[in-house]
Amino acid sequence: MTITIGLPSKGRMKEDSSAVLARAGFSVVAVGNDRSYRGRVEGRDDIEIAFLSASEISREIANGTVDFGVTGEDLVREGLAEADARVEFCARLGFGHADVVVAVPEIWLDVDTMADLGDVAQDFRARHGRRLTIATKYWRLTQQFFSGNHGIQLYRIVESLGATEGAPASGSADIIVDITSTGSTLTANHLKILSDGVILKSEACLVRARKEEHEGDPVVAEIVQAVRKAL
Amino acid sequence: MPLVNLPAFAPDLIADLERLGTERVDTPVIQPAEPFLDMAGEDLRRRIFLTESETGKSLCLRPEFTIPVCLRHIETATGTPKRYAYLGEVFRQRREGSNEFYQAGIEDLGEPDVARADARAVRDALTVLKNRLPGVAFSVVLGDQSVFEAVVAACGLPAGWQKRLVHAFGNQAQLQRLMDDLSNPARDGVFGPEVDRLAILGKLDDEATLIAHIDATMEATGYSTNASRSPADIARRLREKMELANTRLDARTLALLREFLALELSLAEAPGALAAFAGKAGLSLGAALARFESRVAALSATGVDPATITYRAAFGRPLDYYTGLVFEIAPAGESLVLAGGGRFDRLLTLLGARERIPAVGFSLWLDRIAGVKGAAA
Repeated sequence: MTITIGLPSKGRMKEDSSAVLARAGFSVVAVGNDRSYRGRVEGRDDIEIAFLSASEISREIANGTVDFGVTGEDLVREGLAEADARVEFCARLGFGHADVVVAVPEIWLDVDTMADLGDVAQDFRARHGRRLTIATKYWRLTQQFFSGNHGIQLYRIVESLGATEGAPASGSADIIVDITSTGSTLTANHLKILSDGVILKSEACLVRARKEEHEGDPVVAEIVQAVRKAL
Repeated sequence: MPLVNLPAFAPDLIADLERLGTERVDTPVIQPAEPFLDMAGEDLRRRIFLTESETGKSLCLRPEFTIPVCLRHIETATGTPKRYAYLGEVFRQRREGSNEFYQAGIEDLGEPDVARADARAVRDALTVLKNRLPGVAFSVVLGDQSVFEAVVAACGLPAGWQKRLVHAFGNQAQLQRLMDDLSNPARDGVFGPEVDRLAILGKLDDEATLIAHIDATMEATGYSTNASRSPADIARRLREKMELANTRLDARTLALLREFLALELSLAEAPGALAAFAGKAGLSLGAALARFESRVAALSATGVDPATITYRAAFGRPLDYYTGLVFEIAPAGESLVLAGGGRFDRLLTLLGARERIPAVGFSLWLDRIAGVKGAAA
């Protein structure tokens, strides 16, 4: 059986994932030219590489078209319901660090915890005639964190596919749930992270689709072992 | 062509509802999604079928009847009291069971005699179930959020805490966590560094100074034009929070709340038990207890024996428009809920009604009733 690994198709993530695989003994080369979306591993006919956009990788792992993928934990947990039942996080790769956080306007001096936010959300409709709004592209993670972990139900999500951190200032939402690596964009937009508002500490991971045929497959075991050792 | 899943007993059930003095209404299957998401929260999104109109308006397949029936009532402006009945298909994403199934029920809007209307809702639900499932014994569980609100108020807890506790009521895990937090508050991360800095500068000493500071900061950062929470909102809540920072839920109050929430007994004995609890604890539950008692009396008057109903003090629904009575009916000894209902006095004003309309209702799960019928046959 040929094992397919989905890798990010461009940018830092592409370089960093190829570097990890190279250290693990799998030297990735593009088939044809540099821009090609297919690749192979030198000297290995039993491994194929598919270069995909970061957001596609979690979907392709979920439906089993690739066996492994390198992608951010945030994208997998956001993209898939019951992620742990469908995929295995085999290794955390030490790059692509990003925290998914709850951030509110800095000037909300009375709000530094999720409990504070719960209080504000509860009164919001009575005071402002509408629910508290959250700008995010992380629907699933937000819902799980707000209602599952903190019992906060009374809010509305405003989908935001870019420049989320500008939403409170522009008035399109009250607060945001977004990724941040250094926090500098948040600070620049006068936002602060709640003290218990880190939803997920994400980084790039080697993720395996949970497939029955992987059971006892020596190549699958070899890839996992080699990548873990290379870290 | 017969409708998919419509139980054979549906016409009989419609006749039952008609005999109970109701007006049958229907509502479109395709509904605007906003009211549902606004009332129940974003969690509902994963459990309903959403789509969009050509113009980008968010629509959904009717996930329940209460909101559409209330919206219809507000639109038609036909006055109260009104007793509406419905029977139709609802659509929800469920991991188990069908995604489309039938519900029927009654929404009783605008009856000023609250005890009578509450009792009637329980009785009507039981009547329909008994008619459709002859020979089956039922268990009824009843709860009342307003009693919990009265207990929390009588304990003399700060207003902010009362609101939090009442909000968590009905969600056992959340309420437990909250009580633990309040009796053992966190020390770190409660106030941000900016609050410490302002304290040193003396900007927190009085509300006017604080409001002026917040206002100036908002202006300077260009946030003020779109700010939802005003400087006064923020200052008021910050000062409330500071007052509470050094208090904690004392052991005696915590024990009282736990004792109350553990109450579970026959509804016939519940008024006495609640009075005894209040007396022993030195709490005055006054009006809430009186309303509770008159509901029990009203149930007896409609022919429902309170001794056959279980009162569970901790039973509630964590939705902010449920205000008092909640109840569920299942076959005796089973957990499968066949009917659920409650009082939602806040819903109609939230949906846009100009005046407050007291409301109580229940819905029946026809697929589950059919299942019990099948098993009994």
